[in-house]
Amino acid sequence: MCDIAARPPGRAACLLMQSKFIPYLLVLPLIAFLAVFTYVPIGVSLYLSVHTWDFLSPDMPFVGLANYAELLSSYDFWNSLRVTTIFAVVSVPLRLGLALAVASYLSRQTASARILRGALFLPSVTSAVSIGVVFSWFFSTDYGFANALLHAIGLPKIAWMQDPGVSLGVLIAVNTWKQLGYDVVIYVAALQAVPRELYDAAAVDGGRRWHVFRRVTFPLVMPTTYFLLIVSVIDAFQVFTIVDVMTEGGPAGATDVLVNMLYRVGFTLFNIGTGSALAVLLFAFLIVLALLKARVIGQKVHYEA
Amino acid sequence: MKPERPALTILALAGGLLFLLPVLYSIWLSFQTAHAYYSGGLEFTVGNYGNAIGQFHFLRYLLNSLIVSGVVTVAGLSVATAAAFAFARFRFPGGNFLFAATVATLMIPSHITLIPNYLTLAQAGLLDSYAGLILPAVGNGFAAFFLRQYIRGIPRALDEAAYMDGATPLKVLWRVIVPIARPAILSMGLFIFLGEWNSYIWPLVAINNDDLFTLQIGLTRLYKLNAGEGLIDWPLVMAASTISLLPVIAGFALVERHLVRGITAGALK
Amino acid sequence: MLATLRRILLAASLSTVALASAAQAAVTVEFWHSFDGSSGKALEQIIGKFEAAHPDIKIDAQDIGDYNAIVAKLQAAIPAHRAPDAVIMEVTRYGLFADRGVLKDLTPYLDADPLKGQLFDYAREAGIYKGKNYIIPFNSSTPVLYLNTKLLKEAGIDTVPELKTWDEILKVAQTVTDKLGSQGITGIAAPGQFARWGLVEDNDSELIDPRTNDILLDAPGTIAAYQWMADLVHKYHVASPDGVTNEAQGEAEFTAGKVAMMLNSVGDYGGVRQAVGPDLTVVPMPCNKVCRVPIGGAGIGIVAASDKAKQDAAWTFISYMASADANATWFAATGYMPINKNTAAVPVAADALKTQPALQVSIDQLPFAVGRPRPVVVTWMRAKEYTMWQAMALGQRDVTEAMKDFATQTRAEAAKSN
Repeated sequence: MCDIAARPPGRAACLLMQSKFIPYLLVLPLIAFLAVFTYVPIGVSLYLSVHTWDFLSPDMPFVGLANYAELLSSYDFWNSLRVTTIFAVVSVPLRLGLALAVASYLSRQTASARILRGALFLPSVTSAVSIGVVFSWFFSTDYGFANALLHAIGLPKIAWMQDPGVSLGVLIAVNTWKQLGYDVVIYVAALQAVPRELYDAAAVDGGRRWHVFRRVTFPLVMPTTYFLLIVSVIDAFQVFTIVDVMTEGGPAGATDVLVNMLYRVGFTLFNIGTGSALAVLLFAFLIVLALLKARVIGQKVHYEA
Repeated sequence: MKPERPALTILALAGGLLFLLPVLYSIWLSFQTAHAYYSGGLEFTVGNYGNAIGQFHFLRYLLNSLIVSGVVTVAGLSVATAAAFAFARFRFPGGNFLFAATVATLMIPSHITLIPNYLTLAQAGLLDSYAGLILPAVGNGFAAFFLRQYIRGIPRALDEAAYMDGATPLKVLWRVIVPIARPAILSMGLFIFLGEWNSYIWPLVAINNDDLFTLQIGLTRLYKLNAGEGLIDWPLVMAASTISLLPVIAGFALVERHLVRGITAGALK
Repeated sequence: MLATLRRILLAASLSTVALASAAQAAVTVEFWHSFDGSSGKALEQIIGKFEAAHPDIKIDAQDIGDYNAIVAKLQAAIPAHRAPDAVIMEVTRYGLFADRGVLKDLTPYLDADPLKGQLFDYAREAGIYKGKNYIIPFNSSTPVLYLNTKLLKEAGIDTVPELKTWDEILKVAQTVTDKLGSQGITGIAAPGQFARWGLVEDNDSELIDPRTNDILLDAPGTIAAYQWMADLVHKYHVASPDGVTNEAQGEAEFTAGKVAMMLNSVGDYGGVRQAVGPDLTVVPMPCNKVCRVPIGGAGIGIVAASDKAKQDAAWTFISYMASADANATWFAATGYMPINKNTAAVPVAADALKTQPALQVSIDQLPFAVGRPRPVVVTWMRAKEYTMWQAMALGQRDVTEAMKDFATQTRAEAAKSN
């Protein structure tokens, strides 16, 4: 590391640089914060998940795996898992399919492509609360935009957020609208990295557009697709804000996604043990996904937008 | 950029506006009176903003959001840059382990820390304070990882030249590494800022005191409180929503490039 | 290292607290309540009077939301040491907080206060948990049946019909929905949780046995009551699902003149009367199998962790809030029943009784009004009941199956929490 050791000023610098405590001091703040607010909490969650507590009692009896058993035998947990799975299974292909289709049109370096990319991208960096509020209005039964449109073409009103059969679909649509731009930007970057010659070669072969897409584009962006697949599944399993703003998990649990259930069990029912058990289960599941993602891209990158 | 027909550009512009219609319409709505809105008329006012700021303290919430996001960004970047420098340039016992531990946090979903962090900050008496909002967000494994990758790409010769001039490691970090890594630090800073600006579940549980609400919490509260009392005052809610969207939308054109770089660097490297 | 860090942070936060409290000379009592709209204004007025009479006590009154919000906020506040000094607690949900030592035993205060002899027995009983007084009643209520006579007339029902049985109520609801449904008007608001409990009692059953604390959620009478209520929404379509997902929405639709009947607390009378006007009529709850109504409302408790000076000041405040004077103002403005024997003699209350005969309806129900059990598990049960009710009313779960499941879960929770 210190190949300038021969020269006197360098030697001093080297000594300092290699002095044991400098790098530790540099990483200490980060490690301390991560330890206190990320690593210790995992242990605390595990501990709480085998105890029963309501925030009030002075004692916290050990109950073994009873909280896990209670969770796995409850209607709510399976309902939540079902709702979250539907959310993921519908919204992930929708997001990726739309994004790839859109991106293949918008990967050109033209003004129109740039404008559209910007418009699509904007919602992904705005707050989910605002988006949730705006769409609560958009889909409100009596004074919303969506029903005004239906009315204009002579169709009856739909109770978008009050009908258990519709509300999850509304949330999926809103989430897709919000996150689409993120996926598009990543696809565009991937597409722009595809060497021009490959397209030209395919074109020379007389390939039509669809043919070129299927034979050249699609395989080349496969790693990106896989990355986005896992990112969006992780997103889907952590969705909370738009749910809390728009439906609070209702009506009748129709949108009670897992993190919403966690919040409800923890901070309205105050079953701290059961809530922690749920957090641990969800954690285990997401870790598996994250490890998959890490393998896919060869290095461990994750960012929550 | 390639030239194209102006008609196409205009069409794209229209398409973009159509996509953003719900948000744009909500901004339009925020300038109408509630009465006109419910009676189907059209009557313009800036009173909703006056109301949101005066009666419902949205200026205060805006300030809170700025303070919290600002401090988290500066503190998070400082902590991450220092660590990234150490991970990129020093080899020290335990260094690999600590780096692995940092990277591993990228995989840890934040919800598992929700109840424990609530209890920790409760015990420290820091709920209902700026510190309670800020502290859990300062340690950012992704930022450290991202910056470490960037710093590794900076030629070592530059550090060495500075060391020969007698600089200390901190000086090297400050005078050599930080200026060169500025684009990466800037991108990362934007991300941290936006992430914190939009964060929801933590302020939701950590803050009880109206004076410390962030915009997101204030907005949900306004919307939900209103929901219970007959007709929702949508124009007022939309004015509040616009206040919370505005800084992001206003800054978007300036920073879009940085944001895109940050995202794609994370995904495709 | 971490311990040190924590200690430093703790010291820093403590010093700011100390500075803040030193700046105030008078005792400030932080008081959480749940009243907005017209009752919020009445409360403000009463507090203003109290502060004028007690210049050394400041009441920092905070509207936290509904009773559920207060329970949730208080429970979350305990580990955080940020509970208020005094708090409004609903009469079935304070047991948990009394049991866990969060609320102070007020028996000594009450014993030394002439107020004790002035409180109606029914009201005083509502504040007793395991033989001790933990809350002093402030607002007491029973559910009543609100009618919009204008809508009934439009549907061809000219005189207020006999509404003793559920069948009679259903019939009126169906008539209204059939006749006026095309205008977006429905017959009855989906019952809120207080009314749901009332209808269960009306069916000669209970959610929890008041004597033994046995869980009766799966008793046949309880299931039948929930079946009927869910059918209003899901089978007969005479109640809008909006009121199921959002209880306040059901009430809002009644006050907006879009619903003809509503079962709700008499405490909302003031606000409802203002909105609906002369078309409003109030009649007693039905007597489907028996005549029995639950006593609802809330009382004010003192948080045990507050310091002595604040607790004393809080008691002065609580005692005033239950006085005939304050109670008369409150009764006249809201419709909550008198809790103080001297209230009716205060001019403002006497006037109100004369001009608003509806206020008498609730008082007339008192002979068959019952106090409800308040064991620890009720708080959990009531928080959980909302999702169960939604699932049944919106047809997502079979009522019998859901109530049996609910009973099982509640028994398990009771075993854990007691």
